Amino acid sequence: MVVANWGCDWGIVMRKLLVLSLFLVGLMLALTTYPGLATRGTFETIVLDFRDDLAPAQIQEQVSAIAQQYSIDPRPNSIFSQQEHLYIAQGDAKILKQLRKSGLSQYTEAIEPNYIYHALLAPNDPDYSKQWNFRSINIEPAWDDTKGKGITVAVIDTGISLVPDLKDTAFVPGYDFVNDQVDAKDDNGHGTHVAGTIAQSTNNGYGVAGIAYEANLMPLKVLSASGGGTITDIAEAIRFAADQGADVINMSLGGGGASQVLEDAINYAYNKGVVLVGAAGNEGSNSASYPARYPHVISVSALDAAGEKAFYSNFGAGVDIAAPGGSLQDETSTGGILQNTIDPETGKPIFAAYQGTSMAAPHVAGVAALVKAAGIKDPESVFKVLQQAARPVKDDALNYFGAGHLDAGAAVKLALKGQITFRDFFQWLRDNGYLNPRFWIDGGVVALLPKIAMVLGSYLLAWFLRVYWPFSWNGFLAGGLVTGSTGLFFLRGVYLFDAPQWPFRVMGSSIAELGGAIQGSNVLNPLFASVLIPFLLVALLLGHSQWKWFAIGSSLGVAACLAVNAVTSPQVLWLGEGMGARIFLIVNALLCYGLAYLATKTEEQRV
Amino acid sequence: MSLTIQGTIERKGFGPGTWALTSEDGKSYELHKAPEPLRKAGLRVKVDGQIREDVMTFAMIGPVLEVDRFEVLS
Repeated sequence: MVVANWGCDWGIVMRKLLVLSLFLVGLMLALTTYPGLATRGTFETIVLDFRDDLAPAQIQEQVSAIAQQYSIDPRPNSIFSQQEHLYIAQGDAKILKQLRKSGLSQYTEAIEPNYIYHALLAPNDPDYSKQWNFRSINIEPAWDDTKGKGITVAVIDTGISLVPDLKDTAFVPGYDFVNDQVDAKDDNGHGTHVAGTIAQSTNNGYGVAGIAYEANLMPLKVLSASGGGTITDIAEAIRFAADQGADVINMSLGGGGASQVLEDAINYAYNKGVVLVGAAGNEGSNSASYPARYPHVISVSALDAAGEKAFYSNFGAGVDIAAPGGSLQDETSTGGILQNTIDPETGKPIFAAYQGTSMAAPHVAGVAALVKAAGIKDPESVFKVLQQAARPVKDDALNYFGAGHLDAGAAVKLALKGQITFRDFFQWLRDNGYLNPRFWIDGGVVALLPKIAMVLGSYLLAWFLRVYWPFSWNGFLAGGLVTGSTGLFFLRGVYLFDAPQWPFRVMGSSIAELGGAIQGSNVLNPLFASVLIPFLLVALLLGHSQWKWFAIGSSLGVAACLAVNAVTSPQVLWLGEGMGARIFLIVNALLCYGLAYLATKTEEQRV
Repeated sequence: MSLTIQGTIERKGFGPGTWALTSEDGKSYELHKAPEPLRKAGLRVKVDGQIREDVMTFAMIGPVLEVDRFEVLS
């Protein structure tokens, strides 16, 4: 009975450990994929920050030595750099690594990459400033998190022509239901304009921007050059989109009466997880037109640049949300929605300002694509997110605006809520003053794969031992495995502002890595990276029934750590990084394994 | 559904533009594939045609009117 309980307890402990390890691995993945840190890593020069207490002559001596040894030419960063002793030198990751390992570190406060920072405040498309509609929907905060990558938006319209400002936009195959051909190019200009609002090539230094500009467009032509199309073609296009993997369908079209064929197609797509968006119509009358008024289509009314209902927009029954559609009542075109499209007369590309609920719907479709890219998949939830994020309008007695004005930034933030992204975690820690002095995390500091190999390797070694000398898993053994193999490695990247970082490095190091932890070196110290400490631990703890397992675990952990290092980065103090270091590490790994084996054997004999 | 409408031709600014017939009682019809002679804003016309319930358009300005016969009044 007792034994069974023990097994059960340790089962729980192991499960918790597994969950913890998964969490840590997840955290590390998040850290390493966090764009703010990971993509930060482009540099062409290296910063050398010499100690403030050095005399100019000493610095000059070091600079000359570096110049000679690495054939680089360190120079002060600017005329203001003398006081801080700040030098920069041409160099890549390899030179950076060599410099950090060299004796230079004792003369410097820092040797680091001179990262090139790119500020992405607004896209560089020259006419972005004319897109009042994008400020109206608060798009820029949404772009911090997603640009719609991986999402496909089907545009059921007059087709899409490859105008210059769609050059960088991704397409998936569509279909021309009017002429029954695969190439669904535009012969009117409407569809290309609508597609531009959704995914115009952005940050390409040309023209204007689009909302979900990393999403794929699927062109589906159902409207002829004169602007009309049949319900049958539209219904077929909806089914085509759903079957070909579209995530969002935009329908900037309407009219006619109720149609069972069309409604069935809409329900088919909806049940396949597609978000359908429709224009409310331009009759200026109460109630949205078909197909927007169907329950599973998000019906969009149009706003002008002042945020009022556009003069033409339908309203009332069926209107779900409002988005910019523009208004061209005055002489200028500044109140319209500007995108790249074609001139229907010549077929040549032009930038044109259009108005209509046709222009409002693709704003919602584009934001729906961003919400989907942010992880909300089912259409009902996407709709809820759009509704909740919308800026409500008070006293909207005639339902001009549905849930309110579309808000892309709020929608994406809401979509990400509940799904822990690293950005949230980071912000949460900072906002809550969890660690009161502000802290910073360097996601690139730990090479994750070797660490995983070490943890898994140590568990594998323990498993091998267990085959010969059965023992039960316990917390002490697991603790020992982690301590010996990797330490709490994720802590290595944690910094507290204005506080020494070495305590994090020490906690983030395994026994074998402790030798270099305090001064921040990755070179293994043979006093630590050997069988010595596991031996001392086993000798000290063997008499204790529980801590003994910590010693055995540590020994196996160190074995795994040394073995992985022997393969990946055999740098050992006094032994260099060649074959000598490799042999030293492998011999010690074997000794550690043997030690653990012997220690386990004593247990077996006692039992 | 066949009907006769008297009114004025208008160019409505939706998309690259669309041809509409505004009846004397102020109702807007979208002309389906407007015949060439009717493509002139301000023209007063009398049109016989039918409402196409099976057609949708991007202009969405009202019922879609397919012209069978027309007469230019002024």
